[in-house]
Amino acid sequence: MKVTVKLIGPFVQAFGFSEKEMNVPAETTADGLVALVNIDKARPKIVTRNGRAVAPDEALADGDRVVISPIYSGG
Amino acid sequence: MNGWTGQILRVNLTAKTFKKESFSEEFARKWIGGRGFAAKILFDELKPGIDPLGPDNKFIVALGPIAGIPAPNTGKAVVAGKSPMTGGYGDGNLGTRVAEQLRKAGYDALIVEGKAERPTMLYIEDDKVEFLPADAVWGQGTYATNDWIYAKYGKGVGVLNIGQGGENMVRYAVVRSLEGRAGGRTGMGAVMGSKLLKAVVVKGTKPIPQADPQGMKKIGHDDLREVHEIDKKTGWSIQSTNGVLAWCNEVAALPVRNFRKTHHPDAWKVDGERLNNARIATYGCPNCTMRCGITIHDDEGRESELDYENIGLLGPNLEIFDLPQVGSLNYLCDEYGIDTMSAGCVMSFYADAIDHGAVAGDFKFGDAPGAKKLLGLIARREGEIGNLLAEGSLRAARKFGNGSEAYAMQVKGLEVAAYNCKFIPGMALAFGVSPIGAHHKEAWVITFELKQTLRESYGPEKAKKVIELQRIRGGLFEYMVSCRFPWIELGWSLENYPKYFKLATGLDWTLDDFWTISDRIYALMKLFWLREYPQTDRKLDYPPAVWFDPTNADTEGPIAGKVLEYDKYDGLLQHYYDIRGYDKRGIPTKATLERLGLAEEAKAAEKFGSVT
Repeated sequence: MKVTVKLIGPFVQAFGFSEKEMNVPAETTADGLVALVNIDKARPKIVTRNGRAVAPDEALADGDRVVISPIYSGG
Repeated sequence: MNGWTGQILRVNLTAKTFKKESFSEEFARKWIGGRGFAAKILFDELKPGIDPLGPDNKFIVALGPIAGIPAPNTGKAVVAGKSPMTGGYGDGNLGTRVAEQLRKAGYDALIVEGKAERPTMLYIEDDKVEFLPADAVWGQGTYATNDWIYAKYGKGVGVLNIGQGGENMVRYAVVRSLEGRAGGRTGMGAVMGSKLLKAVVVKGTKPIPQADPQGMKKIGHDDLREVHEIDKKTGWSIQSTNGVLAWCNEVAALPVRNFRKTHHPDAWKVDGERLNNARIATYGCPNCTMRCGITIHDDEGRESELDYENIGLLGPNLEIFDLPQVGSLNYLCDEYGIDTMSAGCVMSFYADAIDHGAVAGDFKFGDAPGAKKLLGLIARREGEIGNLLAEGSLRAARKFGNGSEAYAMQVKGLEVAAYNCKFIPGMALAFGVSPIGAHHKEAWVITFELKQTLRESYGPEKAKKVIELQRIRGGLFEYMVSCRFPWIELGWSLENYPKYFKLATGLDWTLDDFWTISDRIYALMKLFWLREYPQTDRKLDYPPAVWFDPTNADTEGPIAGKVLEYDKYDGLLQHYYDIRGYDKRGIPTKATLERLGLAEEAKAAEKFGSVT
């Protein structure tokens, strides 16, 4: 299935892209996608799916927009 | 006394006199510094009901026991006074060499009273204080004023100055320092202007008394290096505070079109990546480890130092998606010395009011040249509209009528920060219960709401989180004084701050000791408000009405159809009051005040308003 992945802030430099479409296996979870993008599981982050928070083991769907961001705290 | 100089400099502009006053160790331990000193001095010395723009108000610069010494991000100062915007307690915080220089001059705080006869620059050098004419720069902006001062004294002095906005007492005029630092959005620049105080210049040569100066020097320098390394490793300062813009756009939290909308397809044009690409310089405060001031050329080729709040509220909030144009608006705010946040919200309110037929006018969203003109009118209080918009969005709304008060984006008269909370209950609470009017600096809970709880929850965990953050952001960092960024953005342990405090003062305190002090200062700020507004009501702790309006809900996107709900918000507010020990008006109870060591202050407040 196709999902769009957007990275926020310093993740852009760290993981080499700002936004891209990815072909991922069906049933890929949020955590699975994070691993496919080579972001370490332990790295503080917030993952949202179509603008809403997503549980790590939640399965994604075709056409999802997944945003992976470091934890901002309002400055 | 170690850590503190033990001295406050009191200056009277009317009489052109000054004196050094000592404070006790008891005072130091009870209030620490910064916001604590300011709140206590203002509560004790200001009579309720005075005009914030009159000679009876006081302008305070307050530092704390770790301000100005070499340690991570200690180049910050609190400025305070009765707020011309809100009529309540007002303060602000900005990066400035005054933090170090005033402490080296031998003072932990400066109190300025009265009103000068003519435009004045106060020059403080150790024990010397001079009242110098500032006619040469009265009417000029902050950049020219700063250059004039540096030409006289060199670039090593600490400078606080105002532009035309402060001179003309625009209610949201700020105090300026360095290249693009500004603070006191509650109108502290207007307080200076009301006193004909154009600038405060400070030079100090004495050592700052510390319990363990060698230890502080070593640890301070080691930690400065280490925090800088963390920033390099995490890359936070690549996009700096503006990294959050793209995220807010994704999660429907961006202020767009006077907060009517929460996201926009053109937001990427002013996001952190674009800002970094346009960078020509980076500025920061003294002793900074992670300089946040990304600077670009504006559309007239001038240097403009930008952060998320500037961009959010002068950009998408005005539907302007051109970074150099946003840079120009930001430059003008800095030049005039007016708050970018309130300026953005006042102008977006004006465009919205015209759009909704509440007032006649031709200023539209997306009109950058029009916004530049409007800023000039506001800074000079020129014409009917310049003069009215200089009063802030609440006063303007009361004049326009026609229901426009519902979308004046303010709490207690101070405009909100760049987070659209039409469906973020905890952050709406943070704005509602901020002690100076809407501000994000006290508590920022959006990630917590999305990640740790549920966005749609109004549960006590959110009130608890707001209080936890207020104790740190609006408490600890505001009285130590230092910038919270190493902790809040880079994860620098909070335990470092009792460590610096001990090296400076010799006192071995825990963070819990500091939370009591934070609670005490918050309660005292509330008492200040109570005396000014004896009929106070919990409604003053509500966010803007438009965030509860179902007709203002997003029609598409992640929060389509959703807005805040009054009953639920009121329940969340009640959780906040219950945890804090405040009554149903949001005023600390007698029992709470006793517990916090504020029995005397409670008695003083009771002469004007009731304490239950």
